[in-house]
Amino acid sequence: MDLLISLVINGLATGMLIFLLAAGLTLIFGLMSVLNFAHGGLFIWGAYTGVWVFQMSNSFILGIIAAISIGLLLGLVTERLIVRPVYGNHIQQILITLGFMLVLQELIKVVFGPDQKAVFPPDILAGSFIVGDIVLIKYRLFIIAIGILIFVISTIILKKSRIGLIVRAGVMDKEMIQSLGINIKLVFMLVFMVGAGLAGLSGVLHSVYSGVIYAEMGLEFSILAFIVVVIGGMGSFSGSLFAAILVGLAQAFMAYYVPALSLAVNMLLMTIVLIFRPQGLFQVKG
Amino acid sequence: MNLRNVDKSTWIYLIASLLLFMVPFILTGRSMQFIFIQIFIFAIFAMSYDILLGFTGIISFGHVMFFGIGAYSTAITMSKFDSTIGSFLFGVVIAVILAAFVSFIVGVLTLRLKSHFYAMLTLALAGLFLVAAEKWRTLTGGNDGFTFRLPEIFRDSQSMYMFCLLSLILIFFGLRRFTKSPFGRVLMAIRENENRTESLGYKIVHYKVIASVVAGVVASFAGVLYALSLRFVNTGVFATDLTIDVLLMTIIGGVGTLVGPILGAGLVEFAHHWLSGLADVHWIFERWIILYGTVYILVVIFFPLGIVGTIQSRFSNRPLKGLRDNRKANENKGRRAS
Repeated sequence: MDLLISLVINGLATGMLIFLLAAGLTLIFGLMSVLNFAHGGLFIWGAYTGVWVFQMSNSFILGIIAAISIGLLLGLVTERLIVRPVYGNHIQQILITLGFMLVLQELIKVVFGPDQKAVFPPDILAGSFIVGDIVLIKYRLFIIAIGILIFVISTIILKKSRIGLIVRAGVMDKEMIQSLGINIKLVFMLVFMVGAGLAGLSGVLHSVYSGVIYAEMGLEFSILAFIVVVIGGMGSFSGSLFAAILVGLAQAFMAYYVPALSLAVNMLLMTIVLIFRPQGLFQVKG
Repeated sequence: MNLRNVDKSTWIYLIASLLLFMVPFILTGRSMQFIFIQIFIFAIFAMSYDILLGFTGIISFGHVMFFGIGAYSTAITMSKFDSTIGSFLFGVVIAVILAAFVSFIVGVLTLRLKSHFYAMLTLALAGLFLVAAEKWRTLTGGNDGFTFRLPEIFRDSQSMYMFCLLSLILIFFGLRRFTKSPFGRVLMAIRENENRTESLGYKIVHYKVIASVVAGVVASFAGVLYALSLRFVNTGVFATDLTIDVLLMTIIGGVGTLVGPILGAGLVEFAHHWLSGLADVHWIFERWIILYGTVYILVVIFFPLGIVGTIQSRFSNRPLKGLRDNRKANENKGRRAS
């Protein structure tokens, strides 16, 4: 029983981290059909900057703020310089964002050095609660809490505010929104920045979670986010949460029982979804 | 065969290949010959990639899996059996059959998908192959890899050079014939406008699957040569970095041409060699990928046809439309499909 609970908590924590990364991807795709292969690059920049600030200032909150800000900033740069020149051409978008991913990844090595870095959790989140025989690791609970918080805030914004309405309508039909006189490019830029900020947040949270950071983890982790976006349905916000939890749990259980197959099971999930339901489990577009 | 019917460019290519045959007699250094061998191997790999990217308009981020299949099939047969030409040929046959089989299955399952999905799925599939190679240590030796002995004839670097060059030339002319055939024309039609080609009655998925099988088989042969040239194989042959390398070569050299990837392979390999040589001068040169990435991004934005494609479209009056001007078509496609 205690094993089951700790595996579930593991899975939920991983799922939340993937969700933070996938949420941006899915909205960016839904709104402008841009698939951002550089998202993993924003993730590692968030991780490295956040950890650097955290270790310098000894304040984890400052680290998180730094990670989100670098995400927002890089999101702006990516959108302006990389994505905007090739709007509408899918092949060029995929190629160019992958190239930018490469540049971001190598720049990490220039700025922070090529070696792996160890990261330790802040004192307040280190250790665990013990309830009966069950060990609850504090940091994992913290990640789950943050994930739920972000999901709730974003859902409220998406469902209740005017900008959320515009974004949801844009995902459904962007021409219609434009003809109502809304500057969809500006909205898109904002969504892109927020998505990048979430990627940065996910990066710094993940670096403490895994205890080590290295430049290649961006691409590795973003593959999971792609899988989630595909399973959840491109453009579906709640779909990506559902799929992220599914993938996180599958990952955690397989890593415990059949470690060799932990990536394979997610691939298998994605392949099955793509073959039988290419639009994903939750379809948004009308 | 009437020589007058032969294309003018064919003569140029033949002369260029003759010149390349003379190179090992001028540059006798082993390391220089080794660079040329690597260029030939990656040129073959990049040409196979261009069959997908440049001629059919499919982006695969998992092309390295066929390369790895080729490398491992040869290496494993050579180390399990004695190192003769026979077992080498057996390895090549296994590589080709496996690559054809895998590319067929992957193609049938995934090529119906839109470009984004295909790119992601192939990226993940290649990751799966990498993990499989790492876990199946009894067969692959994992990340440490294993060495193997070569048949007598390939031990000399000069004869290895000749063999790789000959393969490159044969594959080049073979693929050239393939792309100029009616089949190749249909592939280009798919690249230009998928919907229109479909409405003309062509079964797009069939054509795409066959294109991906051809590309997969050629890539696996490049993998075979790669394993031969190193006499060693490890899980690096499944690394995504190799896909990215070959993508750079194709993009910089010129998509939609076969000379482009060869030129790109030459440029990238030489630049790699020189820039890592400069690492002693300044550490920034160790991170030469930044330079590549930047050049690559600039090429995608400003010269989407690459070096050869840009030159070609200057000289001929009918510019290759393909990758730049199909924005509208793509947008419509995206809308209709969703």
